[in-house]
Amino acid sequence: MQKKGEQMRILKGNPVSPGLALASIYIYKAFKADVHESYFPAGQEEEHFLKFKDAIEMAEKELNEIVTSMSAESPDKAKIFTAHTEILLDEEIEEGVREMIYESHAMPDYAVDEVFSEFAKLLEKAKDPLIAARAADLRDVRNRVLRILKGEKENNLSSLRENCIVVAHDLLPSDTATMDRQRVMGIITEVGGATSHTAILARGYKIPAVLGVKDATEILNNGDNVILDALKGTVLVEPDKDTIEVYRQKLVEYIQEERQTSEYLDRIPLVASGERYSVGLNIGGTEPEEGFKYVDYVGLFRTEFLYMGSEYMPTEEEQFQAYRKVLANAMGNPVTLRTLDIGGDKTLKYMALPKEDNPFLGNRALRLCLQHMDMFRTQLRAALRASAFGNLQIMFPMVGTMDDIRAANKVVAEVKAELRAEGIAFDERVKVGIMIEIPSIALISDQAVKEVDFGSVGTNDLTQYLHAVDRMNPAITDYYHSMSPAMFRVLGKVFEEYNKAGKEISVCGELAGDHMAALVMFGLGLRKFSMNASNIARVKRTLSLFTLEEAKEIAKKVLNLATQAEVIEFVKGEIEKKN
Amino acid sequence: MYTKQTELKNISGLHARPASEFVAMAKSFESAVTVRRLDDPEAKAVNAKSIIKILSQGIAVGTPIEIAADGPDEETAVEKLIAMVDSKFGED
Repeated sequence: MQKKGEQMRILKGNPVSPGLALASIYIYKAFKADVHESYFPAGQEEEHFLKFKDAIEMAEKELNEIVTSMSAESPDKAKIFTAHTEILLDEEIEEGVREMIYESHAMPDYAVDEVFSEFAKLLEKAKDPLIAARAADLRDVRNRVLRILKGEKENNLSSLRENCIVVAHDLLPSDTATMDRQRVMGIITEVGGATSHTAILARGYKIPAVLGVKDATEILNNGDNVILDALKGTVLVEPDKDTIEVYRQKLVEYIQEERQTSEYLDRIPLVASGERYSVGLNIGGTEPEEGFKYVDYVGLFRTEFLYMGSEYMPTEEEQFQAYRKVLANAMGNPVTLRTLDIGGDKTLKYMALPKEDNPFLGNRALRLCLQHMDMFRTQLRAALRASAFGNLQIMFPMVGTMDDIRAANKVVAEVKAELRAEGIAFDERVKVGIMIEIPSIALISDQAVKEVDFGSVGTNDLTQYLHAVDRMNPAITDYYHSMSPAMFRVLGKVFEEYNKAGKEISVCGELAGDHMAALVMFGLGLRKFSMNASNIARVKRTLSLFTLEEAKEIAKKVLNLATQAEVIEFVKGEIEKKN
Repeated sequence: MYTKQTELKNISGLHARPASEFVAMAKSFESAVTVRRLDDPEAKAVNAKSIIKILSQGIAVGTPIEIAADGPDEETAVEKLIAMVDSKFGED
């Protein structure tokens, strides 16, 4: 039973900035403010307030130095510290501290801690996640002032002696921004998600990062050798020689690949013979992601986050505000809002749904909405109201029959009439379309296309329903063939009918972001590919290598292959020939 | 006391750069200046010279606000801040 030697330990976390790194660990412990509630005897007010004012002056000097040294090289990061200066000099903060010192006789460090914490809480309550994230800046400035009050020098990551992977409980904006980028090969923290400050900055610097690794500062030691796999979200501690060799090879390939691919991110999407196609973005929140800059439209805006992240049914107003924000993020480009897609594997805390034997074949998405008319109407009202503020399209998931289309369209017409009667503005020409993910609606595309404004293929569910494979069942993942000849035959038929009718057809499932599948689908007539931001560069790069005629040839051959394995081998070979 | 109302017209609202510029402008006046959201009956008027207070209001595009000033340069203060908001802070 016992294994020889020690087994390599693997830690897990959220990969928030992709990449790989092999290096030794540097445990970073930032200045820890140890503040206690304490007071001074009356009569020393002036003296203590002056201490506070001196600390503020010193902090301002430090910040100015950072801004000056960073402005030339990285103006974006310098801005963080300009914002810190603004916070530092905020007159409400000074007023709060003055009051505590003069009226309560609070020691300056206690007063500073209290006032900053109170303001940080105020910002955290803001609905906008970007404002809430600025609470981190407040804590950062507070720590700076407290450190100066204690007479300690600045301790940061700006002068590291060797290449390392930084491990910390959390990194404050000033830690990441002044960090020596030449030496930091990777970042591991115990807390933080994809939208945290550390994640945003790590992506900006292109440093691989895995956050939310529990007890990382306890488990890891200074000098431990680790492999940080920020593609998968794992940390391999003290790996053996063979593992190191495998990763070394992977790292070399990854770097080469990244360098070549990243150049394509902001290129105009064109194939080698000059035809333009459109690239879309899939989103599931209201954050203004960087990806918006590189796309022509939002092909899939999932709205479940509003419902699943809430303790109650989100109100019309809450939804309206969220949809409007997304339209603003899209900067005038079309946004395809998918109405609520729950049931199956997704449930709501505040809505009891009976347990089903086959939830994926059960009462989900549009089916469920049509049975919960209040919920459905509320969402449609919010969406239609938002349509007055941008370019919005509405899309229904899980459409199986013409009856579904007609029932959903009828509700839209009723809600529109209601808004008109109330004199509420909305875009009268708002397009309404369907997700194509059930084979029965794909196969009658010639008829469906007449009653919708557009179609968008959800290839994940289409694979599941076409192949009769529950995609949540780990025992049958080998049966999930999204690139089977059968899939491409169905897709080809769908593209043909929508193109013939002159209606928009897009793919917003995983296949659109897979460069091999995208090539085949381009050959089959698809011109709109909506994907996650991380796939954009690769898809653009692969499509740029082929002419329209070549893509058509490839697609024709794929339709006549027998298995998914044959399809992948063939398409991979064609792409390798070009590289 | 001098007051005037308007609505945020720039896409990013009173966040980030616009918020900084707004506060910097407010600070250039001697008068006490406040901002109040009009769409929320419970919202209080907050100090326009405090970046933290302004951010905490989360004033997004489309939000109606009232700017008030009290002091020797109250009229100029309000008029200039309103003009700044109405110029969309140079966005688009």
